[in-house]
Amino acid sequence: MRDDGYFGQYGGSYIPEILFNSQQQLLKEYRSAMADSAFIEQVQQEMQEYSGRPTPLTHCARLSAQIGGAQIYLKREDLNHSGAHKMNNVIGQGLLAKRMGKTRIIAETGAGQHGVASALVAARLGLECTVYMGAHDIERQYPNVFWMKQLGATVIPVTTGAATLKDALDEAMRDWSASYDDTYYLIGTSCGCAPYPEMVSGFQSVIGHEVKTQALKQFGQLPDKIYACVGGGSNACGIFMPFLEDSTELVGVEAGGRGPQVGDHACRFNTPQARFGIAQGFSTRFLQDDQGQLLPTHSISAGLDYVGVSPILADLADRGEVRMISATDEEVMTAFSQLAKNEGIIPALESSHAVAGGLREAATLSPDQHIVINLSGRGDKDLFNIARALNDQPFNTFLRTYLDEEENR
Amino acid sequence: MKQLTSFIQRKRESQPILLMTHVVYGYPTIPESLEIMEMLLKEGVELLEVQFPFSDPVADGPVITEACHVALEQKVTLNQCIEDISVLASTYPESRVLLMSYLNPLIQIGFDHLAEKLSPSISGMIIPDLPIDHKALATPLNDKEIPIIWIVTPGMEPSRIQKIADQAAGMLYCVSRAGVTGQTNSPIDSLESYLNSIRALTQLPLAVGFGISTREDIAMLENKADVAIVGSALLRAFHAGGIQQVKRSLLELKGSNA
Ligand SMILES: Cc1ncc(COP(=O)(O)O)c(C=O)c1O
Repeated sequence: MRDDGYFGQYGGSYIPEILFNSQQQLLKEYRSAMADSAFIEQVQQEMQEYSGRPTPLTHCARLSAQIGGAQIYLKREDLNHSGAHKMNNVIGQGLLAKRMGKTRIIAETGAGQHGVASALVAARLGLECTVYMGAHDIERQYPNVFWMKQLGATVIPVTTGAATLKDALDEAMRDWSASYDDTYYLIGTSCGCAPYPEMVSGFQSVIGHEVKTQALKQFGQLPDKIYACVGGGSNACGIFMPFLEDSTELVGVEAGGRGPQVGDHACRFNTPQARFGIAQGFSTRFLQDDQGQLLPTHSISAGLDYVGVSPILADLADRGEVRMISATDEEVMTAFSQLAKNEGIIPALESSHAVAGGLREAATLSPDQHIVINLSGRGDKDLFNIARALNDQPFNTFLRTYLDEEENR
Repeated sequence: MKQLTSFIQRKRESQPILLMTHVVYGYPTIPESLEIMEMLLKEGVELLEVQFPFSDPVADGPVITEACHVALEQKVTLNQCIEDISVLASTYPESRVLLMSYLNPLIQIGFDHLAEKLSPSISGMIIPDLPIDHKALATPLNDKEIPIIWIVTPGMEPSRIQKIADQAAGMLYCVSRAGVTGQTNSPIDSLESYLNSIRALTQLPLAVGFGISTREDIAMLENKADVAIVGSALLRAFHAGGIQQVKRSLLELKGSNA
């Protein structure tokens, strides 16, 4: 990591000039907060007392036996308050916003997990909260929208472009351009202009640090491999970064979606449409056409279909420190069921990508090897999508009855 | 590089302010966008800013963003855009045509190629997400004497205005208020002191844009700035009544409809 916010050729700050002052102010305040032990202690205390850290590392004995390869362990980020790793980051940035004297936060969200986490932390810290969310994602993730509203946040549907995460990000940047005086832009993943990638990864690194201690205690060595799903890349950076100096192999799992056709997946690695680009305030690998227009993406999980990726991961992949693979929607649903039925854990669809990648490769390993899969979130929010993917008719009947009853009340 | 500056200075001798109108290439279609540009040039706008559409125009408000997305459905290419507007630029030598684009389409085509393609009829390049700190990226344009029009904003530290002014050529693009293009709700606060503070640091012509939509807005800028930039307002006129309405709006903006 360099002081100027670059990771190899990626990162930096390519924002409209109107945001220059705010970005510089953020950079300065972030550096000063990181050098302030009282601030760091406050973040740690909030992570523990509000979010419930440390989260466990769970051995999956039945699943490991069924797969017939390595011992499978799950890092249980699903047990964070709000049910996802997103909490780690919003606690850090929320406290930073407070420290900077801001009274309002804005956030963009895909799956809605970051929106919920932002709304929670805003309520806790007494900040106003506006969340931008693609209209298409709102349809897919309505339960999260419902909770954001109950928490007092304003949810603004974004209908421009593909009406998904990248468009929500554009809108949040536009808001920030007009509101930086009192507003803190709380980015939900390790993307965006400097210092966001470094800052978000830093707050998320608590995941990897805990895994290190837990692995040594529970199986006496570091994991052979670690798997994490990669949307923007924050949970992956969080679990990977503390292992960069170790022999553990780090594997990112992207959304393979319906297949390799343009618009059917969200793979920013290993596909011809994924190239170096500069957009949305930073440089990284973006899915784009030959004119440099960012392309539409697809994934069964709203949280993974971002068009860019963390500059940190782009650089680590270039340098061979992280290996990138992908899992299709179909593989993801299979992995989802395997984990639920064998271990009594309901994973988020995002996290199910990491599970799919991990299970696929665990089968080729030996029983004395250990893999850790980062279970970034729980599946409650995906109830509707999972019911649809599994074509669960009784669920539809339930909804119909529920609506009928509501209308006749 | 001095070419654009001297053009503006010469025109300003007889006018209290010049007009730079903004058009999105390919909106609503390529031929119609060219027709709009031609009309504007015929009507004598001094400067025409042509935006090459981008999927994620973060410095633009809803009207221009929507226009970009519609234009992209026309499968526009930067090469074709440059060819088309170069023809216009040489047909109307009494005006100046500038190209505006976000960075990504430019780095995909490559700044070397861009510099080859652009010279000499395009008078300048506006790149809203290229900070002055990354000026080196655009060196090939500099080598070809095509000025990058740098942007200054309200609340900018004098040291940064100075840094920009020192490296600028052609003119300076002064953003009138915080936010994105097309916003007219927040007033332009302390415009005069803002422009004076910039004027104190540079002799370059000052162009003012973002949210300029009426004859009054322009009148307020007369003899304080050199160029008024109008974008979203003309797109709104187009929505209201097509190219004829754009023409009426233009005449109104110029104060020549009486
Ligand atoms: C549960 C869960 N996992 C993973 C992600 C992907 O984000 P990231 O790659 O930043 O971890 C999301 C994003 O919304 C999410 O909700």
